[in-house]
Amino acid sequence: MHISEGILSTPVWVAGYAGAAALAAVTMRNMDMEEIPKISVITAVFFVASLIKVPLGPASIHLILNGLAGIVLGWRAFPAIMLGIILQAIIFGHGGITVIGINSLMLGGGALVAYMVWQLRHRFDIQRRELIFGALAGAVGTISSGIVLALALVTTGEAFNAIAATVLAAHIPIMFIEAVVVGVSAQFLSRVKPEILAGN
Amino acid sequence: MALDIDRHAHVSSPINRWDARFKLASMGLFIVAIALLKTLPMALLALALAITLLRVSKLPLKFISHGLAFVLVFLLPFFIVMPLSYPGEPAFTVMGLGFAWEGLRLATLIFLKALAIVMVSFAIFGSSRFDVSMLALQHLRCPRVVVQMLLFTYRYTFTFLDEMKRMHTSMLARGFAPRTDLRTLQVFGHFVGTLLVRSFERTERVYKAMLSKGYQGTLHSMVSFASGPADYAKALLAVTLAGALVAGDFSGLFNHAERGWF
Amino acid sequence: MNERIMIDVDNISFTYPDGHAVLKGLSCQIRQGEKVALIGPNGAGKSTFMSHLNGVQLATSGRVVIDGIEVGKTTLREVRRKVGIVFQDPDDQLFCPTVFDDVAFGPLNLGLDKAEIEARVKEALHVVGLEGFEERSSFHLSFGERKRLALATVLSYQPEILVFDEPSTNMDPMNRRKLINWLKQSDKTILLCTHDLDIALEVCDRCMMLTDGRIIADGPSKKILYDRQLLEENKLELPLALMTHELLHGILYTEDMDDEHRQIISKFLHAHRHAHGPDGHEHVHLHVHSHDHSHLHEEVDEEHFHSHPHHQHDHGHSHGHDTLPHTHDGYDHKKEQP
Repeated sequence: MHISEGILSTPVWVAGYAGAAALAAVTMRNMDMEEIPKISVITAVFFVASLIKVPLGPASIHLILNGLAGIVLGWRAFPAIMLGIILQAIIFGHGGITVIGINSLMLGGGALVAYMVWQLRHRFDIQRRELIFGALAGAVGTISSGIVLALALVTTGEAFNAIAATVLAAHIPIMFIEAVVVGVSAQFLSRVKPEILAGN
Repeated sequence: MALDIDRHAHVSSPINRWDARFKLASMGLFIVAIALLKTLPMALLALALAITLLRVSKLPLKFISHGLAFVLVFLLPFFIVMPLSYPGEPAFTVMGLGFAWEGLRLATLIFLKALAIVMVSFAIFGSSRFDVSMLALQHLRCPRVVVQMLLFTYRYTFTFLDEMKRMHTSMLARGFAPRTDLRTLQVFGHFVGTLLVRSFERTERVYKAMLSKGYQGTLHSMVSFASGPADYAKALLAVTLAGALVAGDFSGLFNHAERGWF
Repeated sequence: MNERIMIDVDNISFTYPDGHAVLKGLSCQIRQGEKVALIGPNGAGKSTFMSHLNGVQLATSGRVVIDGIEVGKTTLREVRRKVGIVFQDPDDQLFCPTVFDDVAFGPLNLGLDKAEIEARVKEALHVVGLEGFEERSSFHLSFGERKRLALATVLSYQPEILVFDEPSTNMDPMNRRKLINWLKQSDKTILLCTHDLDIALEVCDRCMMLTDGRIIADGPSKKILYDRQLLEENKLELPLALMTHELLHGILYTEDMDDEHRQIISKFLHAHRHAHGPDGHEHVHLHVHSHDHSHLHEEVDEEHFHSHPHHQHDHGHSHGHDTLPHTHDGYDHKKEQP
């Protein structure tokens, strides 16, 4: 879930930009030429995949899949997600220009945490390992972004506490959906093209 | 939902003719100014200016309707939650919850600002070709790698959107109907996995094709910028207006939002 | 072939919101068991037309009725049970981890029970000659295998009407031949949208020409696909098989050769004509452009083409590209879809 324009206080969204720029610099270190088209193309896939609508009772929500980005791109998931957020702001007006930084921190950071969780799988040698750790990564990716978002809101001001709580609660069904989709994808990929998964 | 942000970039207008570098820089400042606002009257003024900008750019209303819808849908909960949860003394109670005018004011403020910024953003990027906008960003010191990736990503988005639509059609043709159940999620999981695998294979081909045409890490462009007095004048106007907004906001002539921002 | 009308297209038009008209008053009827080819230049609207048959796109005016059910927002599921579309690019139709899953996708959507699903998958794979591939992933198959798999994914769904979009493009000759053989023995209602006019000639008795959003010709293949002028006016050409015929026909009557050679060529033409040409004494015009051969046409007809039905339709031999003995086809002719 991206946050829209106009909500966060100036210090918060400025800090968002600073943090995102720093993390981007770190995660893009030593990027070689071949990675440029690779990251771009995969970002395009995630961008397009985020247009998929999943029915949730009477309504429907869009897939985020930052956990899957972490699984597939590893550390490079951060710049990839940032690219996606920039494009979403420009093309759809989703999220917004001023909050590109904070949205990147939120979703990109979630992807990185998801990647770290995914890497834990090496310690286990069990059936359906990819499905389980993929699901965990998906869930963790979602809930971490929710937490960052809630924190940003709460830091902006007391008046936003209730909204922060609402948003966090809203992430719970999303977490479940993301867990299933990312888990299934991870298992699919491990079967069909394991080299696509990061951190082997 | 159309993805090509620059589908109206050919429509001639003072905004369209504005040198993209000046446009992005000065409008960027304008957006920052709007984001700084904390008083309702200034936010209203900002919105009015944004609407004017859109009119001047001659972009059709339909173009931005989707973006505006997003703002509306996203902020709707704010209008409900904020007045009812505002810290401090409520003005009256509704069904056991305290209603504070200040909460409503804050929500409205946010709403106006969001609308204004989104409108300006569409006016900026809708009035130039995407690659021109990206090149302008590069001139404004955005890292080349980032610009390059933005260009590639944008281009490939269309390819994958097509592919996705076709796959979706064939799924529908075999009776698939998305529901709130595990099977639907499983199908989507496979679907996304498939897109990823195909894209992976595609990047290898793309990279090989690029290398064989001499790619060495930078994209060269035939686009060049040439600025004239009109560009400076427009930029000056934009910056002045931005300054005026901020000044009016800070002047203390209007009520600031309280407990909202510090 | 009975009289049950499976596809009834009644004066449909389709215009995009931006004003671009793709279909402009198109009508046709296809009966059960018919095998119809839909030909026409690129951009004429063939793909758009196909997407109207299963409601992926809904006409801006006119209506489409599939086996008695009018295609509309509320009848999509029913309609899609009747019409199966096999798209041109197999990759657009394959997205599951295993071949089994891909073929089971349709039956699963129909809500069938496990045993039935397994049976259908097994059958569909058998028909396309991919038994034993169940656990493999479609991503690791060759193009020809994927094309056959894509067909299997629609077969398992068991629609009564099959629509193919360019089924033979990029196929190697052997797989193409298998496809042709399967199509010929199938008892389903088939609509083949294709540029491969030879496959149209072999498989379909009837041919519709779609140009500029309208059906401008609709008749027996053996009339339409022989009409050089009609074909060329619509950016097409004679099927290769007929070009050979035409060429030899020309050679036969313009070159000096001894009787023995003349006889060989005549026999070839005779057999060829039986494979593709009309039964009986129907006149078919071959527009041979350089000379006026109309008088020769009658001569030829009397001397060499006393066609008698006792000649078997020798599909394999006359044009020489089927070098396989019939028993080794990938497609199982005898097994019929229930």
